[in-house]
Amino acid sequence: MSTAVNPPPDAPLPWGSGPYSIKRHGVSLTNCDSEPVQTPGCIQAHGALLVLRLSDLTILQVSENSAEFFGETPEALAGRKVESVVGAEGVARLREVIEREPIERNSLYALTLPARGAAGALDVCVHTVEGVAVVECEATGRGGAVDYFRGVKTALGRMQAANGLREFCRRVAEEVRALSGLDRVMIYRFHADLHGEVFAEAKRGDLAPWLGLHYPEGDIPRPAREIFKRIWIRPLPNAAGPLVELVPLANPDTGRPLNMTHCALRGASVMYTEYLANMGVAASLTLPILRDGELWGLIACHHYTPTHFPYQMRAACEFLAQVATLQLKSAEQSEQLVYRLQLEGVHQQLVAKAARDGDLMALTDRQPSLLDAMEAGGAALHHLDRWWCMGKTPEPAQLDALAEWLHTRPDFASATRPVFVTDSLVRDYPEGAGFADVASGVLAVPLSRARRAMIVWFRPETNQTVNWGGNPHEKPLVTGPHGPRLTPRRSFEIFTESVHQRSLPWTTVEIDSALRLRLLVMELVVSRAERLAELNADLTRSNEELDAFAYVASHDLKEPLRGIHRYAHQLLASAQTLDDENRKRVEGLMRLTVRMDSLLDSLLHFSRVGRTTLELEEVDLNEVVEEALEMVGARRSDGNFTVRVPRALPSLHCDRVRVREIFSNLLSNALKYSAPAPARIEIGYLPPEESASRPNAPAESVGHTIFFVRDCGIGIEPRHFEQIFRMFKRLHGRDDYGGGVGAGLTIVQKLVQRHGGRVWVDSAVGAGSTFYFTLPCKQTTAPA
Amino acid sequence: MKRAHAATVLVLEDCDEDFETVLDAARLAGVTHEIRRAITGDECVALLRDFAPAVAPVLVLLDLNTPKGDGREALRYIKEHARLRAVPLVVLTTSANPRDLGFCYDCGANAYHVKPVRHDEHLRVLGEIFGYWLRAVALPQER
Repeated sequence: MSTAVNPPPDAPLPWGSGPYSIKRHGVSLTNCDSEPVQTPGCIQAHGALLVLRLSDLTILQVSENSAEFFGETPEALAGRKVESVVGAEGVARLREVIEREPIERNSLYALTLPARGAAGALDVCVHTVEGVAVVECEATGRGGAVDYFRGVKTALGRMQAANGLREFCRRVAEEVRALSGLDRVMIYRFHADLHGEVFAEAKRGDLAPWLGLHYPEGDIPRPAREIFKRIWIRPLPNAAGPLVELVPLANPDTGRPLNMTHCALRGASVMYTEYLANMGVAASLTLPILRDGELWGLIACHHYTPTHFPYQMRAACEFLAQVATLQLKSAEQSEQLVYRLQLEGVHQQLVAKAARDGDLMALTDRQPSLLDAMEAGGAALHHLDRWWCMGKTPEPAQLDALAEWLHTRPDFASATRPVFVTDSLVRDYPEGAGFADVASGVLAVPLSRARRAMIVWFRPETNQTVNWGGNPHEKPLVTGPHGPRLTPRRSFEIFTESVHQRSLPWTTVEIDSALRLRLLVMELVVSRAERLAELNADLTRSNEELDAFAYVASHDLKEPLRGIHRYAHQLLASAQTLDDENRKRVEGLMRLTVRMDSLLDSLLHFSRVGRTTLELEEVDLNEVVEEALEMVGARRSDGNFTVRVPRALPSLHCDRVRVREIFSNLLSNALKYSAPAPARIEIGYLPPEESASRPNAPAESVGHTIFFVRDCGIGIEPRHFEQIFRMFKRLHGRDDYGGGVGAGLTIVQKLVQRHGGRVWVDSAVGAGSTFYFTLPCKQTTAPA
Repeated sequence: MKRAHAATVLVLEDCDEDFETVLDAARLAGVTHEIRRAITGDECVALLRDFAPAVAPVLVLLDLNTPKGDGREALRYIKEHARLRAVPLVVLTTSANPRDLGFCYDCGANAYHVKPVRHDEHLRVLGEIFGYWLRAVALPQER
């Protein structure tokens, strides 16, 4: 059957405006979409059909094979009462059924006509449609007395015990096969895009399995699908068997052809019979499975030799199909529930792990991962400005571009359901064509807009995952007059185009589960953020307390100091009472109070250096050095010393005030500890590529720009290299080299550490000292 | 404000030595105003309440860290008081805490000084304060 080729718009149909007959007109690939499948004019020749006027049960139309069944030609029967065919008893039974049973468009068994000549006993079914009663007669063919009632009863028991949808469908297939004895019974399920899949199968042992094969939408075209919404069964016991026409073709009362939708004997389209023949199938029995009034799937039975479908067997199968339809929803729900529980279970494990590890990477880097629950080909987590990928995903650069695009979409930013879901990414995002093979289907949920964190699942192009019924490796069968087009193989080729760059669709269960995972992760993130905020608040509080304490302590210590200084001052003022020795002692007392004062100031400053936050900005170090020189009261070329900066310093992301303090402390030391000769100071830096193998350089300095301040002063003995950075540690006499409390280098070290860097010294006595330090903040511009 | 003989300088200072230094500095600077001392913040506020509106102090020197209602409370009382608001108020404290500094200026203090430990320095700072606020500066006339 075909929908792919449309007829030329104006081509006249061979049957014009008159009644259609498969036998007379047939159809071709170009007009099969217009085929009047409901009024085919013909029935399958294994049965006979009578059309009766409903008011008086007069015979209006008869199938042309009536003589074989009733011993009289259609012409002889036309216009007579049906009693002449079914007898008085039969008429009474027919009337009873017509009057009492719900047979409008619903064929019911009425009676069995006893054997008459070659035809044997006939099962007679009747239904009404458009003002006529349609009587269908078929051989009963009851060989042995098969107990269908018992068969159905056990079948129902087994079906109800099934767990989940697939299991349920497999049992339906098995039970239908057991009842019908047919070679192959498939549960054929329609997907959202209307292509179908053999979802469950029961078959003769020697046949190749078709389970899991997919068939394009066109293999069961729309008109056929529409009919299957209205009938319960479609028997075709001999697909290649002859067809017989109704005589006359049109109802003589109305001039209209018979609507055969509900006829079991309805003649099949040649497109369908040829399709079956091309697959080697001789007989078929098809029963629809509906869900919420829509065609969910079919019970499709194939037999490889022409057969006979006794009415009772059909009725039993029909009953099973109806039970399947009724139970499908709950089976499907239980299947979804199983999948949902499985998804939720894995997702909760993931989040629990992430909570334990304190890191979202736990979603991706171990078992189970994001990929274990969802049926997807790949998954990616964007977190901490990078992608964590599992399975088959696009490249990171492609992911970046996709994420960028996702963030522009309103559905991705929705307050209630922030999710982007598609089974064909290229439809909305043409750039997706570059990776359609791994990611035609995308299911993405945002985790954080500010940090651009998200989780994305990818589903490959359907062609990559699906076993198509037209598997090109299968040997082609003999094909009919319409050629290879009417084979699954050929229709597959056409359909390949329509699944190009498309994936299997995402289910509601999957989308909901992704959204729930998102909530779980966000709860986790929020609870961690809250904990962090608490810790921060604690830290701020204790920092503030420390700060206040340092000020109060220094205040309380300084007050008595001021008093001591005052009294000493007054003692000195009353000079006449002091001899020289005592005057010196009092002067010493005053000097000590002043020194104590500056020690307290240094201590206070040091205690704050480590705690206040850095204010990072882009800083030109050349300016900073100028400012530092000014602070220590020196200009580059004073008479007493020279400061050289051989090459311009770079700009740096750092705290301007604090880096200035580093330089001013080091410069102040360099000036202080100059040899008797005027100080010569050099300030410079080594970019990372030159910074290897500096003497005493700690390992952490490798790969960073190293700054240095070099003097040619008195130098330091190597054994003191560590001590000099200790608080209040002085190597020289209190008042030698301009005095000082011995806090400068300690503060330098603290400031460098606050920038994540290291400071160290290289020196030799008499040969000057070089203080090196790193400030490993990103260097953004090269010096001009 | 009249430079009446009875004009007063109010000093909030709990430390005796520091108050002595204030008196020394006043003498050295030739200040003739009456200098009244409060030791606690509460006392300071009480003294100000007792002043008749016409004889408000011409200058207030405030230490911050005093017992029983510290200098901060006295500062707020003065600067929120409709008539006292215009009286020059100079904070003299040992605290170099930038928070204290910010707080005082936010409340309307006219100046903030950290007391030097060196006595001579201390005297010099006080001398300059007296010179500036009692002589150099122009203030609103009594309303």
